[in-house]
Amino acid sequence: MASLQRAILMLILCGYTAFAAGPFVWAAMLSLRTTTEIHIDHFALPDPIHWEKFPDAWFNSNYATYFLNSVQVVVAAVLIVTIVGAMAAHCLARYRFRLNRVIYFVLFSTIIFPPQITIISLFQVLVNYGLYNSKLGLTLVYVAIQLPLTVYILESFFARIPADLFDAARMDGYSDWEIFWRVALPVALPAVATTVILNFILLWNEFLFAVVLITEEANRTLPLGIQRFIGDTQEDIGMIATGLMIAIIPVVAIYAFFSEKLIQGMTAGAVK
Amino acid sequence: MAIVTLDKLTKIYDRDHGAAADNVSLEIGHGEFMVLLGPSGCGKTTTLRMIAGLESITDGTLSIDGKVVNKVPAKDRDIAMVFQSYALYPHMTVKNNLAFGLRRRSVPRAEIEEKVRRVADTLELGSLLGRRPHALSGGQRQRVALGRAIVRDPKVFLFDEPLSNLDAALRVSTRVEIAALHRRLGATMIYVTHDQIEAMTMGTRICIMNGGRVMQVGKPLDVYRRPVNTFVAGFLGNPPMNLVPATITDDDGGRTVRVGETALRIPAERAPASTPGSPVTFGIRAEHVALTAGPAGDRAEVAGEVVQVESLGAETIVMTRLAGVEKTFVARVAGDAAVRVGDRCPLFLDLTETHLFDAQGQSMTTGQDERTA
Repeated sequence: MASLQRAILMLILCGYTAFAAGPFVWAAMLSLRTTTEIHIDHFALPDPIHWEKFPDAWFNSNYATYFLNSVQVVVAAVLIVTIVGAMAAHCLARYRFRLNRVIYFVLFSTIIFPPQITIISLFQVLVNYGLYNSKLGLTLVYVAIQLPLTVYILESFFARIPADLFDAARMDGYSDWEIFWRVALPVALPAVATTVILNFILLWNEFLFAVVLITEEANRTLPLGIQRFIGDTQEDIGMIATGLMIAIIPVVAIYAFFSEKLIQGMTAGAVK
Repeated sequence: MAIVTLDKLTKIYDRDHGAAADNVSLEIGHGEFMVLLGPSGCGKTTTLRMIAGLESITDGTLSIDGKVVNKVPAKDRDIAMVFQSYALYPHMTVKNNLAFGLRRRSVPRAEIEEKVRRVADTLELGSLLGRRPHALSGGQRQRVALGRAIVRDPKVFLFDEPLSNLDAALRVSTRVEIAALHRRLGATMIYVTHDQIEAMTMGTRICIMNGGRVMQVGKPLDVYRRPVNTFVAGFLGNPPMNLVPATITDDDGGRTVRVGETALRIPAERAPASTPGSPVTFGIRAEHVALTAGPAGDRAEVAGEVVQVESLGAETIVMTRLAGVEKTFVARVAGDAAVRVGDRCPLFLDLTETHLFDAQGQSMTTGQDERTA
């Protein structure tokens, strides 16, 4: 009976794994096949394996530029969002000041609006300030759209850090600024890691703002670069798949690096 | 060592809710172990936090060694504090927890190593220096918290209910450790607790607080023996002092009180003569109530009925009901006393140990020399 239950469970798990990983494996296979081969048989195994597509995409299809642009924009945005978000969260969670909850509510309320409604005004603002079609402009927009959620996640975590810890640091001679860097931030690292992963994945894959605010080839990020292979009359499916695989590598690396912290963040407070 | 002087120290968080600490005046001498004792919400922790510099002072002055420090930030007061929750930095090892305060003060690395090692040896933390707080037991965490205070060699130590998270056995041993530490360091220490055993056993003096105000300051036994009001009398002691309503009678020039249906003549040294008919509170500690007349036979006899018996081994707590008195009257007698619930038995009161409190609850008993500050 127990083995039957186990078998059913395994079956469900295998089915779910296939469902979740299937598209990824398929895209991975497509990335190693040419578009012509793909058109002949969509689901065939890569034979021969076209490893040369990766250097080809990187050097000849401008993926190196897109990748570098994505790294610059996303890393800068995640860095700013993390630092500013953590500081704001610490401040809102720790200090009693007038309008504390009002600021928190206003910040949080921006999460409920769909981002599309801000695109036109953002476009105009960036044009006015000469930031349209620039990586700096896109970075600032990314900071703005991810900051509220980051503050929201971190604030609840910072609020759970015992106040005595900060008092102890004050007694030990540390200023508020030093307490943030040397006590609050390290203690909140699991939550900070969670927001880093979340923001990185969301921004790395972000398409909507990028496609509206960036048109110049030299400033395109990876999602825009991949889109370039979708034409009006034809799509270079093989190259798109190769681009997707290149795009996925940093996300997997970031997740692998921060995953332990992520799990700690998710389970923080769940067990004593 | 330092002298800490509180002069009418007041803390108001919300004008609508009164003062959390109200005109607290107190002087803690060089090397003294002062215990702030009181029930929850009495203002003792607020007072301690004002001394620490963790709370701003609404009114009054706080001086350390004669220098007013109201506006001096916590880090510059040369005070160390041990928190109820220990407040150890969870991301640091024990060694770094101990060294954290010294690093901020730019103490040379070699000196930090030496000080940390010395404190670790003193508190038997040597083998735990590489561990993080989550890998320590409650007692070990408490010792690290103590070590973090000691290693800085501050002028004043503050303790905010440091034993309340420990189990009973560990609490006793840590209490002894802290008392020994005080003797060894000879430092000025201010200790907040609601546990009167800690207060009685550790304090050079104790300061009883209630409702944000100081009720009485004095040596533990003095406060125990000569409470200035019904609050102190009822708060200090376990079981608390028997306090029952009484009335001054016409007899003996106003020195006799009627407690329920019994008239008791109060010795002259225990209370001044009062106006007959005035309402008072009659108080006597449980250990001064006996079930036997005593060898001298000089105790006053009161009829009572046993309503509850608690045998604690070494002693027995007998709760009785006196005729005409609503409140239970408690006697602490020998552990082998043979009494049962429902017994009607005489109680013998040692009237030389009685206390009388006036209608405002202030002690009328003579010999009160330590009134509230």
